[in-house]
Amino acid sequence: MALTGLQIFKLLPNTNCKKCGYPTCLAFAMKLAAGKEALDKCADATAEARAALGAASAPPISRVVIGSGPRAITVGEETVFFRHEKTFVRRPGLFRALDPRGLSAADLAARLDEWAQVRHERAGEVFQIDGVALTESNGVDVCASAAAAATQRGLPVALLAATPEGASAAAAPIKQHRPLLVPPSGAAMAPYVGVAAPLGVPLVVSAADLDALAGVAADAVKTGVTDVLLEAPGTNLRDAHRSLSLIRRGALDRIHPGLGHPVFLRVGPGELEKAVLGITKFTSVITISDAGSEAWLPLWTLRQNIYTDPQKPLQMEPAVYPVGEPDARSPLLVTTNFSLTYFIVSTELDAAGVPSHLAVVDTEGMSVLTAWSAGKFSGERVAKALREMGATERVTHKTVIIPGYAAVISGELEDALGDGWRVLTGPQEASDIAFFFRDVWASAVCAS
Amino acid sequence: MALNLKPKTWPGGVREVVLGAGSRKPITVGGGKGLPLHTFEATFPWRPVLALEVTDINPRTWVGAVRAPWEGVLGQPAAAAQRAVTDFGADLVMLHLVGTHPDRGDRTAEEAVADVRGVLDVVSCPLIVKGPGAGAKQNDILSRVAEAASGEGLTLHSACQEDYKTLAAVAVAYGQVLVAESPIDINIAKQLNILLSEASVDIGRVLIDPLTGALGYGLEYTYSVMERMRLAALGGEPMLSCPVVCLVGEEVWKTKEAKTPAAKEPAWGPEAERGINWEVATALPLLLAGADVLVLRHPQALKRVRRQIDAWFNGAGG
Repeated sequence: MALTGLQIFKLLPNTNCKKCGYPTCLAFAMKLAAGKEALDKCADATAEARAALGAASAPPISRVVIGSGPRAITVGEETVFFRHEKTFVRRPGLFRALDPRGLSAADLAARLDEWAQVRHERAGEVFQIDGVALTESNGVDVCASAAAAATQRGLPVALLAATPEGASAAAAPIKQHRPLLVPPSGAAMAPYVGVAAPLGVPLVVSAADLDALAGVAADAVKTGVTDVLLEAPGTNLRDAHRSLSLIRRGALDRIHPGLGHPVFLRVGPGELEKAVLGITKFTSVITISDAGSEAWLPLWTLRQNIYTDPQKPLQMEPAVYPVGEPDARSPLLVTTNFSLTYFIVSTELDAAGVPSHLAVVDTEGMSVLTAWSAGKFSGERVAKALREMGATERVTHKTVIIPGYAAVISGELEDALGDGWRVLTGPQEASDIAFFFRDVWASAVCAS
Repeated sequence: MALNLKPKTWPGGVREVVLGAGSRKPITVGGGKGLPLHTFEATFPWRPVLALEVTDINPRTWVGAVRAPWEGVLGQPAAAAQRAVTDFGADLVMLHLVGTHPDRGDRTAEEAVADVRGVLDVVSCPLIVKGPGAGAKQNDILSRVAEAASGEGLTLHSACQEDYKTLAAVAVAYGQVLVAESPIDINIAKQLNILLSEASVDIGRVLIDPLTGALGYGLEYTYSVMERMRLAALGGEPMLSCPVVCLVGEEVWKTKEAKTPAAKEPAWGPEAERGINWEVATALPLLLAGADVLVLRHPQALKRVRRQIDAWFNGAGG
């Protein structure tokens, strides 16, 4: 269990020496309790204090790194059951499954090259295939060369093993790149522990139920496997959901050391729903058999949503964003930098088929109504922002459209812009933008 | 060392609300006594139900992928409702009177009443009726519909904090269920329910619509507000214990990702599958966050979500 500020305070020297940068030991203790400072900053902390704090501050779920270099992924270290309690921190790694059997070296290389280069940009994040999950087949040695080829391209590797010998042959040459060793579901774990421990690679353990799972995980750690993941028991969504929920709850409540590890889930072809469950509910590494973007895009996007820090409003970079290919006669609209607002407005603009300039003003991520109430979307602030980002230079018609909910700022904004600028009040809801262009914009601009 | 996995118990739970009455075959929703879909540790007397959306006019904004299964009945609400129930297996139907909006056809209350009657005549399931959006026209339309279908237990969508009095009175007078809509805000959701109960609405006849953000468009906000509402309900908060309805289809099929054809974004994959996946990947997290009623648009999405719900409650499939 985490210690409270007062419990930590009792472990500190209580000299108020200020060397840590805080006026009192109590203030520093409060920051430690909130996880915002490290004990290293206390020059006089005793060994006893360090030990007590270290044990208490050890995350309830261990940290595991898979892969090496810039594309290595880190999972685990989660601290909450509900994202609104704090945030989920380590987004799950989505690994694409590949069976290298029957692929020529050239085909394999081409495929890995393609996968390593997949990139989709969305709302400030680049979506990539996080790793490759390679099927190892008994008596076939292509897995080792495929693993080496994936590693060369910087891709983290998971080895879906058939046998301990095959797993060892594929993992040993790339052990410094930390491949994730995945035994067959429900296989006897001891032989795989015997492979993973000496190589120092992370290992997925599985069992028929949670009792047995916690047991094999604890045994694996005792036998020398430093990094363990748990395969969630259950084939249908109900059973997988039960496992995922109870593992997370048990880990946070620290009911058994064997539950304090990140969770692994296999998703077969056409099982998008299972991947959706995994991303929503606590999974850290998912192997996905489906190939197309029609499956990957929703999964990446879901991960982006679920792993967004709920305490921080989603914000867009303040700037003038083009919708379509606008020119100097195209409409200029202004809105707030709350991502959701931006997305909805730009989607509707796009759908309306009117190329336009969308100026996004820094409102610290607040929506229109909230920003206006908080004084972040006043006429003066909007005018200043429009000038600073050069929005006023983009169009010759000197007309700016403001959101309907901010109608009251129109006079103030006209005054602040001066120079013959006019303010048009747009609709309250983005869904009415098309009607606005049809009914209001055309006549407003023709009249000028 | 055996694990000590005690089921988590709670003092409160979600209310039960009966949708449909009179000539309708009623459906009960809500009643869950634990975290959403935690069927392994709490009782859930009723499984989540799935509605399909039909419209009074040909919905011009629907893209090809979601129009296809409705070809031939778009803008014919009775025929579409029949297809929704008989062919697509919807538990209930949402009739969206989009054409009554002054900018989208400006259909009259008489026409709206005729549409509702037409649907009631061909299906026996409960009916959700969604007006054209907040404002005087919405109140007029929904009042006339509620009066004409008095005693049918219609679910009227929706009352909001700024404008609830008319629909509150109408729901009470004609025995209808009322949807209380709040803008992804737990405090407003609670406040609106307090206002409704002060206006003599039985809170056991209310559904909460927390406002759905589609996947990629605020889903996480809806998701967390719903989780917090469920925790409040389980903790015993009476004003947040109503079942939750999410309008998934209309939000999903507005998104760029569901609408853009593969010809324009070849790297995004075929648009029909992408749109359906988008709807499924919005619907499932909302079920996990506590939705009791989902309103979908694509029958294929309904079929896939249904299979998962069945697995949850029967232990089969999946």
